[in-house]
Amino acid sequence: MYDVGLKPPMLRNLIRQHLPSGNHPLNLNASCFELPKLVSILQTHRLLSESDSHSVDPKLINAWKSAVDDWLSCLLSLLSSDMSDKCWVGICLLGVTCQECSNQRFLTSYSVWLDKLLSHIQPPSDSQLVKIASCTSLSDLLTRLARFPEVKKDANSLAGKLIQPVLKLLNEDKVEAVWEGAASLLYALITLFPASIHHSYDKVEAAIASKILSGIYSDITLKKIGYCLALLPKSKGDKDSWSLMMQKFLISINDHLNEAFQGVEEEAKSNEARRLLVTPGKDLPPPLGGHTSLEGGSFNGTSSERLPTATISTLIFCCCKMLTSSYPVQVTAPVRSILALVERLLRVDGSLPHTMLPFMTSVQQELICSELPVLHACSLELLIAIIKGMRRQLLPHSAYIVRVITRYFKRCALPELRIKLYSIVRMLLLSMGVGMAIYLAPDVIDNAFNDLNSLGGEDFEISPANTGPALPQPSNRKRKHGTKTGSLEENQVGAHPKVGESNTHQMTPITVKIAALDSLELLLTVGAASKSDSWRSSIDNLVIRTAINSCKRGWGNVENNVFLPHESASAWADFQLSSLRTLLASFLAPARVRPPHLSQGLELFRRGKQEAGTKLAQFCGYALFALEVLIHPRALPLDDFYSADGVSNRFSENTYTDSQKQNTLFFSVAQTTEQGAIKSHDDLYNKWLQNEVENENIADENMKDKTSRPNDSSLGNVLEVSEQEPAAADADVHMRNEDEIVVQPRRIEEPIPKSQEIVSANAVTSPPAVGTNLEGGEIESQTALSACDRLNDTDHDMLSGVDKVDFNTIGGKTSSTLPNAEKGSSSMAHLESESSMDSFPDIVDADPDTDTDCESI
Amino acid sequence: MNVVLASSSIDGGIGCWDLQTGAEQLRYKTCASPPHGLASIGCRFLACSQLRDPSAASGHVLYWSWSKPQAQVKSFPAEPIKPLAGNSEGSYIVGGGSSGDIYFWEVATGRLLKKWHAHYRAVTCLVFSDDDSLLISGSEDGCVRVWSLFMIFDDVRKQQASHLYEYSFTEHTLRVTDIVMGYGGGNAIIVSASEDRTCKVWSLSRGRLLRNVVFPSIIDAIAIDPGEHVFYAGGRDGKIYIAALNVESTPSNNYGLHIIGSLTDQSKPVTCLAYSAERNLLLSGSEDGMIRVWDVKTKNILRMFRHSKGPVNNILVVRLPYLLSRAEPKVQASSRRNEFSLHPPLEKYANSSDEDMDNRAIITLPDTIDLPSYLSSQLINDHIKQLQQQGSSAAAEMEVKRLKLDGQRSMEMFQQLKKSL
Repeated sequence: MYDVGLKPPMLRNLIRQHLPSGNHPLNLNASCFELPKLVSILQTHRLLSESDSHSVDPKLINAWKSAVDDWLSCLLSLLSSDMSDKCWVGICLLGVTCQECSNQRFLTSYSVWLDKLLSHIQPPSDSQLVKIASCTSLSDLLTRLARFPEVKKDANSLAGKLIQPVLKLLNEDKVEAVWEGAASLLYALITLFPASIHHSYDKVEAAIASKILSGIYSDITLKKIGYCLALLPKSKGDKDSWSLMMQKFLISINDHLNEAFQGVEEEAKSNEARRLLVTPGKDLPPPLGGHTSLEGGSFNGTSSERLPTATISTLIFCCCKMLTSSYPVQVTAPVRSILALVERLLRVDGSLPHTMLPFMTSVQQELICSELPVLHACSLELLIAIIKGMRRQLLPHSAYIVRVITRYFKRCALPELRIKLYSIVRMLLLSMGVGMAIYLAPDVIDNAFNDLNSLGGEDFEISPANTGPALPQPSNRKRKHGTKTGSLEENQVGAHPKVGESNTHQMTPITVKIAALDSLELLLTVGAASKSDSWRSSIDNLVIRTAINSCKRGWGNVENNVFLPHESASAWADFQLSSLRTLLASFLAPARVRPPHLSQGLELFRRGKQEAGTKLAQFCGYALFALEVLIHPRALPLDDFYSADGVSNRFSENTYTDSQKQNTLFFSVAQTTEQGAIKSHDDLYNKWLQNEVENENIADENMKDKTSRPNDSSLGNVLEVSEQEPAAADADVHMRNEDEIVVQPRRIEEPIPKSQEIVSANAVTSPPAVGTNLEGGEIESQTALSACDRLNDTDHDMLSGVDKVDFNTIGGKTSSTLPNAEKGSSSMAHLESESSMDSFPDIVDADPDTDTDCESI
Repeated sequence: MNVVLASSSIDGGIGCWDLQTGAEQLRYKTCASPPHGLASIGCRFLACSQLRDPSAASGHVLYWSWSKPQAQVKSFPAEPIKPLAGNSEGSYIVGGGSSGDIYFWEVATGRLLKKWHAHYRAVTCLVFSDDDSLLISGSEDGCVRVWSLFMIFDDVRKQQASHLYEYSFTEHTLRVTDIVMGYGGGNAIIVSASEDRTCKVWSLSRGRLLRNVVFPSIIDAIAIDPGEHVFYAGGRDGKIYIAALNVESTPSNNYGLHIIGSLTDQSKPVTCLAYSAERNLLLSGSEDGMIRVWDVKTKNILRMFRHSKGPVNNILVVRLPYLLSRAEPKVQASSRRNEFSLHPPLEKYANSSDEDMDNRAIITLPDTIDLPSYLSSQLINDHIKQLQQQGSSAAAEMEVKRLKLDGQRSMEMFQQLKKSL
């Protein structure tokens, strides 16, 4: 299979077996249906490439070349056949050949191929399949051609030849499928050879516009040709053509809306929209495609039966594409008009303003109502496009957008629209950050509460009777309030009294719930730090409840059920994943208190992790990993930062001798380095000692705020002891170096109760801290700290006495400490005697002693 | 290519060096900047406020494109502007006026979108948050304020709110000299330095003071280590102090609580600091006109750049766009020049009545790559599917054609037979 020598015979074999030879009529059933197989063989074995990196055997190359020659002559004979089916086979395969053949072959023969293909989209050809296939093959040819910048000039002129036939297809052919083919060719022309379109710009615009404005074709066709129209300004590439095209689109949309919304909207609205679009005193741009859009419409007479929805949505689609596709220069976007258009569309909900009542028939009203969801979806798409296109420059308009969204969110009940709205919310949160989160939070929360609390989704499979309070509630207190979820919520969410009764969407589809969860997740990650006090706890409750609910019936399986369509099978798994992701966000988001539901959450993640092979398990594994940091917060010593590698350590040795200042700094590094090294010895012990203090510090903040500070004079002493512990631990290690391990167990057990007692003292004195110990502020505690720090210093002096220790390597450390061990242990023994007496009254006095000790060294 | 840019309060132009090789690049001419007056706007061009004569009623703001030494655009704001800052995308420029007003311009149009009274005295520094949604300003009156730009642009909420700012930190007693913001969005910390010899650490999420660090000298510049273990504070005594943020500090050293060390080169006062995260380098500018590059791990000076005799007061580390750092074909250079010249000067006054301008936003559309792909093999599959469904009109059409031809051929054969008979 990897033998290059086999490739030419394989190709010949394919020609013999699959390609219909000249005279025999083609048997459609037999040979045609094997074409896909033929193509896949060609592509996997690269039979047309005519080159192989491994072999340069001239004989092989010749054989291969002649085989490809045969292949091509065979194709060309098929192409010139008067049988349309044979012709079709030839055209399709030529398209594949354009993609697969060698560069050299392509460059020598592309113009011949192009001419051959071109002849098939011109009048004498009548089969639509042939026309479509020719368009596609031509577009493949152009795609390949665009890769060779050296033939650009020639390519441009060749591409220019294609414009007229394509226009002809668009204008004169009557089959939609052919237009699609023509559109794909046009798309290739516009994106790859923009210059070739330049001269026929207006004609192309007119041809496409007439199709769109007639509005009677299928959605896909309209989108394809609409896309071409949206990209058309690229062929000129200047900023005016972009703006002009955009303005034409907007005016045309506006005109159509005026007509469609007659009767459901006040006259003033349409005038206002118009005023924004056209600057007073300036000329109206020519209408889209030169058609005076409205009277050209075939729908005009029939407007009472049909709305121009297809046209409007295609035009809006074009605007979206214009806003999100790249463009060579900066452009001027009429932001306000677009936003006004969005707002106008969203404002119409099919209800009649009072003044209009007599003029509308109920048929008309029903008609509008049936089309409105599509229009609303389009306008949301437009909003998304403008957010994408403008990015940060949207700032001056962001308040307006937020108002439009929040207003619409209140009324919007259709699942698809709500999902879109949530996605817009996410987009805004992500692109605009904290400031936006503060703004959007109340609305996101209101809506998410509504959606997540409503029935449906969870009761996909559960009968409503079961959805009661079976949820494992974190506190039993709440359970007694009611037996229904609804009433439970009401109690928990005092801050949102609306939620309980405005539960209008009784059955919220699971997809909406997923969107709501995703939005909550993002809100938590972006905005939980800022001004979240009012909503944080209720959201945490909601999230854990949803997560527990989603997981209590086992895990959704994506693959198992072959009977369900894929989406509905995976929806449940997606829901679980989303709820767990949100749960993780609620744990990790900055908060003032410990996450209240951590234990339940961990349990869920652990269970989820066992579902091997699923996305969910992968995520749960990640969640457990991420939560580890939350459970064991890290305040790593600085040595990590200063000496990540051994090289830098050597440098620090050099600087050590350099100057006095750096010397002191070196000490501080030395201290931390040493602690780090000790951690590797007695890691757990130290970590517990330190982290427990920190943890409590942060978590007990509330308590701290409330508790009045006791005037305890022995406070300083207690603190001293607490700080002494690490130093004492150092001693342990040193001692262990001398094989005095016996001491250790005693020491490990001892400090733990002590440190807890210290914690409570600590919690009272030290103000809330961001990191370990930001700004003590208390004089006693400061002196205490400095006192015991001097204790620490003794260690370093000791160490530095040994001279230039390589602190990173434990071996070096051990050896260096050994000579000092005797002195060290004497002072350490001294220390130990102090610290073991829980609150030795005069520890400050002890310090000078040790200091002098060291100085004498 | 990462370049170091530095400017001075005495005209020495803007020096530009390659951080990697140390080679001096183009020197942008005629620039005398106030502290915090130099800004790279979205890495697209340089802007610097100018203050030639302190008594003059107005200063000006200059733009340089990367490729030309001469200033290309000159703007004249309504009052002298000292600090300048651009958001990360380079779509907006904010400037702080000597009256305490903050000016908010749109780069693409030059329009003054907003102007608000932020402080009682001159604004001394301006910093955007990571996500560009918050602006932090410091002032001569010692006040540090946090602004949500959404609030600034929301006229409705502005009227409802009692004050525009999100937070106002008033603990500094003298002029605020520098502000840096840490990592973490809404949960970030802000570090501010002041002439009252302190640096203060603020929590953005809680809106209050976390730590007060008293230094032996006035601190004019601060830089924060990206991991937020420490921050560096450049003092008027020529030392760069290292202050602890998230590590255990050793209060027993010579400098004071939370200060864990210093970098020093017996230089004149340190006036500005910058941190190059990519290579963990700290850059300091000094009044002796030198820029020192420190390796923060080893505390050694890796490199020195000489800017001028006068004091350096701004340093930026900017990552130049890839294309710019290469020698480029002429065509592209000219097109870029055109693009650059599109940036109009900053307007003096807000022109709120011009609704049409409100409507027009000059934007650079997202750079999506959207190219046609090969379709033929897909088309074959589609058509085959169509052909297999016998009801398809296209297939039927083809069948009809075939039958027609068959018929024709049979007729011909029949004719021939007839003739031969």
